[in-house]
This record gives sequence, structure tokens and C-alpha cells, in this order.
Amino acid sequence: MSLISLPFFIFMCCFLAAYYLAGEKNQWKVLLIGNAFFYAWSNPVYIIFISISIVSTWYLMRNPVKKNFMLTIVINLGLLIAFKYSVNFGIRDLIAPLGISFYTFMTLGYAHDCYDKKIKPCESLPEYALFISYFPQLTQGPIGTYQEMHDQLVTYHRYDRQNIKEGGYRILIGVFKKLVIAGRVGFYIDTVYSNPKGYGGLTLIVATLFYLVQMYADFSGYMDIVCGISKMLGINLKENFRRPYLSKSIPEYWRRWHISLNEWFMNHLYMPSVTSGWNRKLSRLLGKIFTKAKKGTLRLIFPTMLVWTVTGIWHGAKSSYLGWGIYFAFVMLVSFCTQSYVKKLNAKIHWNPDNIFIKIFQVIRTLVILSFGEMIYRSESFSDMVAIFKGVFTDTRISGSEIAAAMVPFGNGNQAAASILILAVLVIAQAVIEIAKEKDEKAFTGHRYIYAFAMLTVIVLFQVAGGSNFMYQAF
Amino acid sequence: MKKVILTLIAALLVTAAAVGFKNVYSCEMPIRNRGINDAIKTGDLDVLFIGSSTFRANVDMPMMDKEYDGRVYDISYGGNQLVATSIQYDEIKRRSDHRYGLMVFELGPMMLTQEVALSDSRVIWDLSFEGKRELWESMYDAGNTDFPMMYEYFITSGMDDLITFPVTEPFYGTRYYKGAKTDETPSPGQDVLEREEFDISDKTLVEAQAEAVVNIIRKCREDGQEFLFLESPCYYRLQEDPTFKKYREEYIKLLDENSAPYILASDVDFDSKNAEFFEDMNHMSAKGRREYTAKLIGALKNR
Repeated sequence: MSLISLPFFIFMCCFLAAYYLAGEKNQWKVLLIGNAFFYAWSNPVYIIFISISIVSTWYLMRNPVKKNFMLTIVINLGLLIAFKYSVNFGIRDLIAPLGISFYTFMTLGYAHDCYDKKIKPCESLPEYALFISYFPQLTQGPIGTYQEMHDQLVTYHRYDRQNIKEGGYRILIGVFKKLVIAGRVGFYIDTVYSNPKGYGGLTLIVATLFYLVQMYADFSGYMDIVCGISKMLGINLKENFRRPYLSKSIPEYWRRWHISLNEWFMNHLYMPSVTSGWNRKLSRLLGKIFTKAKKGTLRLIFPTMLVWTVTGIWHGAKSSYLGWGIYFAFVMLVSFCTQSYVKKLNAKIHWNPDNIFIKIFQVIRTLVILSFGEMIYRSESFSDMVAIFKGVFTDTRISGSEIAAAMVPFGNGNQAAASILILAVLVIAQAVIEIAKEKDEKAFTGHRYIYAFAMLTVIVLFQVAGGSNFMYQAF
Repeated sequence: MKKVILTLIAALLVTAAAVGFKNVYSCEMPIRNRGINDAIKTGDLDVLFIGSSTFRANVDMPMMDKEYDGRVYDISYGGNQLVATSIQYDEIKRRSDHRYGLMVFELGPMMLTQEVALSDSRVIWDLSFEGKRELWESMYDAGNTDFPMMYEYFITSGMDDLITFPVTEPFYGTRYYKGAKTDETPSPGQDVLEREEFDISDKTLVEAQAEAVVNIIRKCREDGQEFLFLESPCYYRLQEDPTFKKYREEYIKLLDENSAPYILASDVDFDSKNAEFFEDMNHMSAKGRREYTAKLIGALKNR
């Protein structure tokens, strides 16, 4: 059931009524039933697999010893690998259960936290099931932690009109990002990337920049919708994006993009790897080769490689995803290794990091590095990737005909470009409101209705009908 | 809550007004150099082309203009849909009392295999509400409609054009002349045309498109309208494709059965193997357009 569909709208109306009428004792039970209904809607059989994951993890982690922890990892990762990568082993008819990547991460995170004694194991199976299967975050995250979610999920929430209004507004923003922005630029990107050899460098650059826009609008739009839905239920979800494209470096970008996933990797894979015995041994070996390198830097090399390779493969068993992971591992390592030299150099040339022009330069530099990564990620095949890079670097003519050719994938030419400009005004207005509200909660309270009116009108008139599938759903 | 309801009502009213305006009045917008409205404004015409992008790219209107003292026009937004062409014919007859000496319809073999759909949203912009309804009904009868399609057809389609009209119209007005392209499109070269991949082997005849041809012939006869079907030359690789040949024969058979006049690509002395004349398989370069139009004028005069 897509979150932007009539069935979901009807489900949500009925569910909200039941949720708030259920009373203090039964509210969480209604939520659990709602989760099951939402999950079963896509395919009732999927309930079996999520149930195996929930029951086994809950049961094993009641006694969080090493053996049980390892068994939990084997069961959950086994299911994930079996479903997600079965195609690579020649099995074609196995369709992965809805949200398996995301609930597996939540399960493993919970198990790890129990094992590390950071949390007390959940005593109630239904409460644990409620945490894993919470429907707004089930299919694409955010990857909530047990500490953040448990109390909120089992606490009684009274009907609060303000929550409904705020949630509704957030949903509106999400739908706008998804149906209007992501949907529109999507046509251009699909046209160009399906035949990259057929387009010049300028078109490929435009398509890649649009891809950055599409990814953000699609994914953060989805997050706005789920956060809005959750807000309506009185439950606050973790924010997954903090204006990532304004980051001044790639490490900063990854702290602001898909925050919950990156925190998960940091807490459950990266940090344990950094402190592990195998990493210490390997970094000692490296120290013998690179005698001048700092010990601290050497200890980051293997965990960084590991995390980014796993992140790449997590997206799917495709060479482009793996290449993307390796590319970012390389970028991160270069960033770590050159950090101290760059600081010294900055001091020497009196480079003031607070200067606005330097900040702008850093943001653009980050976007350029990011764009190369996304070119790898979005390529359909290795030969397409080569064609894209070749086109970008060798076909650099900026002539009238090249600009005209770059507009061709719009189909409707300048009309589409002009409409995107009009939409850009709305997007900038939204950004201004968000920034102002971060500084002062009361800012733009009255303007919110005007903005909601404008978004609603634009969604109805300019949405891409039928484009309700989200990109991250595939993972 | 009062503010929320007011916001919803305001948005609903604005969208309803925009949708209503687009569906009823967009066909009367003062668009220059293309579309049915501009064709009607031109007045009596000696030759009126009604077709798709092939006519838009392959007919040189300044040359035609000279030959017919300005009494020519090219309506080229049918989106390869013979069904749409038939509805455009109705639209012109309904909205104007002008004299149209000769109406030239497109003999595009592959048009017979097109699903009845909205393949060029410009059609929406060109048609009155009655025409839009007629086209929608044709799509519905062909079983090609669903809710997203209906939403696109009646609400979003053409909305870009409407909202950006003041900005884009001056620009577009210079790119066309009487419905045909004016830009100097070059040929991408023989290598590209020889390498261009196309696969039309899975195409099948769509009955509704064939019926539309018969309808056009019938309506022209009932109205006493002189007409003919014109096949534009394609690059030789497409012309030699077995599927293309099959539907070409099918189209010609249909015209013969209904005793309709036509001019085939082979009736005009034009070199379809010259890559310089083509932009892609179907559309001509500026050089090809002028070369072909000069020959076409002769063929039309001598028909």
C-alpha cells in the first residue's frame, strides 16, 4: 500500500479514528493491529518472515549472551541475504518481504544494544513486535532505535488537534516533494540515463544534478510523509535529513543524509570494527609499511572500507552500487588522511573557514564530489558509467545547439523549465520558512496556511499522476 | 480548524478555476504560428496539412507560403494518432466557416499500430472541451484509460503551457511558422543513422486507428471536402523494414478500398538514402525539408 494512494488514505482515516477512540489500555493494541494490517496488505505471506525475525530475536535476546547474539545475526542476515540477493544466485521468483532491509537493521541494532548492555531486553513480545513493525517507518525507515521508540509506542496519546495539523502540513510538504519535484525531474533523468551515449556532456551534467534533486525530493519527501503520519499519532520519529546539500565536506554530508542509517552503521559496524582486535592487528601491519602515518588514521582505514563496501552492497548486488561504496570509502579516507595537512595549509594561506565565499566554495566542492558518486550509482551498467564520465569530461562544448539538445529530454522544452522555475520559488520559500522556524518556533505561523494553500494547488495541478513509488522502497 | 478548512476550500476553488479554464478556453489562447486556433485565424486556405511531428519537420512552410500566397497551414500535433487527426478535422469544421481547398492527411504506416492514447499533450491545448471529450471517449472505447490517465488528461496535461504562457509563448512563436519547424536542424550524419537502433517487429494493427482513416474519408466526402493522404519519405532503413512495409501495404489497401487519393513517398523524386536529408529515421533535417518540399509542391500541383 503506497503512502500516496487512496487505499492508504482510507486506511489512515479509519485507523486514526480507531486509535484515538481505543482508550488508554487498548491504544497500543490498535497500533499493533494496524501495523499487521498495513503489512499484510502488500502480501499476507510476508507476515511469516517478519514474525520469524521478531519472535526469534525477542526470544534469543532475553538472554543476551554471545551465542544468542550470533544466532540472531545469522537468522536475520540469513533471511535478508536469501531474499535480497537470491536473484544473484539464479533464483528469480523470490520477492523480498516489504521493508526487510530496514526491519533487519532495527532488529540487529536492538540485538547489539542488548548484547552491549546499552538497553534492557524487552520483556513483552507484543511490545517488541510493536517496535519492529511500526508501520510508518517499516518500509523505508527512519531506522528507529528501541531507546527512542519503545516508550513513545506504548504510552497513551490523547487526541491533539495541533499534532494532526502539524502532521498534515508535514505530509503535504512530503507529497509536494515527491509528486511535483521528484516526479518531474525523474522524466529527464530516466530519458538521459537510459541512453547516456546519446547525449552530450552538458545534458549528462544537468541530468546528474537533477538526480541529486530527485533523490533528495523523493527520499526526504517520504520521510516528511512518515514523520507527518507519526506526528498525527503523537509519536515523534527521528529526523533523517538536515539540509545535506549544504554540507561543506563529504563526511559532514553523510552526517546529514539518511542520518538514521549512517548512525546505525557508525554504532553497530564502524565503531565495533575500529576497536576490534583484527583491526588493531591489520593497522599495525600497515604501520610497518607507512612508518610516518599516524596510528589513529591507520586504524580508520579498514573499518571505513568495510562500512562503505557493506553500504554499497546493502543497496543491491550490482557493480554500480559496489563501485559507489568503494568510491565513497576512498573519498572518506582521503578526507581523514589529509585532514591535518589541510588544516596546516589553511593556516599558512590564512584561509578563513568562516568566510561566506569559502563556505560556498566548500559546498560546491562537496556537491561535485557527490555528483561523481551518484553518476556511478545511477549507471545501468559499467559501459554506461564509462560513457557518462567520458561524456562529461570530453564533450564539454557549451554552444547554443548543445544547450538546446540538453533541453530535449524535457520533451515540452522551455515550458517544463519555466514551470520548474516557478516551483523553485515554492521550494526556496519552504527552505526560508524551515530555517526561520529553527531559530524561532513562532515564525511564519500565519504564513503556513498561505504556503499550504500554494502547495496544495501546485500538487493538484502539476503532480506527476501515478508516480507514487518511492526510490528507496527498492532497498 | 477553521483556517484549515478555508485553506482547503481556497485551493479547491483555484484548482477548479484553472482546470475549467484549461479545458474550456485553452483552445482560444492567442498562440502564434502553430495550432488549430492560429490556423483558423489565417482564414481561407488552399492547403491544410493535418498530421503529426513528421509533417512538422518535413514540410517547409515558407516555401509553401510562397507557392500558395500564404494560404497554407500545417497542424502537426496529432501525436501519430489517426484518431486525433479525425477529431482535429471535426474541430476545424466545427469552429470555422472558412474554405479549405485541399486537406492533406498523414499516411504514416506505423500510425496504424499506435495505441489510442494521449501521445502529444499539445492536442489537449488545441481542442475545445467537446473535442477533448471526443478524444477521451475514443481512448476509453479502446480500453486505454484509467484514473491516473484521466487525471493527467483533464487536470495536469497542458497546465505547464497555461501557467508559463506569457514567458514561453514569445520564444515558441519564433520556432515555428504556420505549424512547421523553422530551425536549421542538421543531420547527425550517416554513421549515426546507420547505427540507430529501432525494433518495430512487435507492433500490431490497432483497429481504432484504421477506423479513424475510414472516418476521415467518410467525413470529407460528406462535407464535400477535397482531400488526400500523403506519405512522407523516411530514411531508407525504416522504409525497408518488413513490419513497416507490412503496415504500409495495409494502409494503402485501406485507402484503395475506400477509393481515397494518396501520394506515396515513391511518387516524389526524393533520395531516401541520403543521410544529409534526415535528422532521424522519421524526421528530415532542414536540408531534407527544403529538398522534399520543392518536390512535394510539384507533386501536389500535378496530382
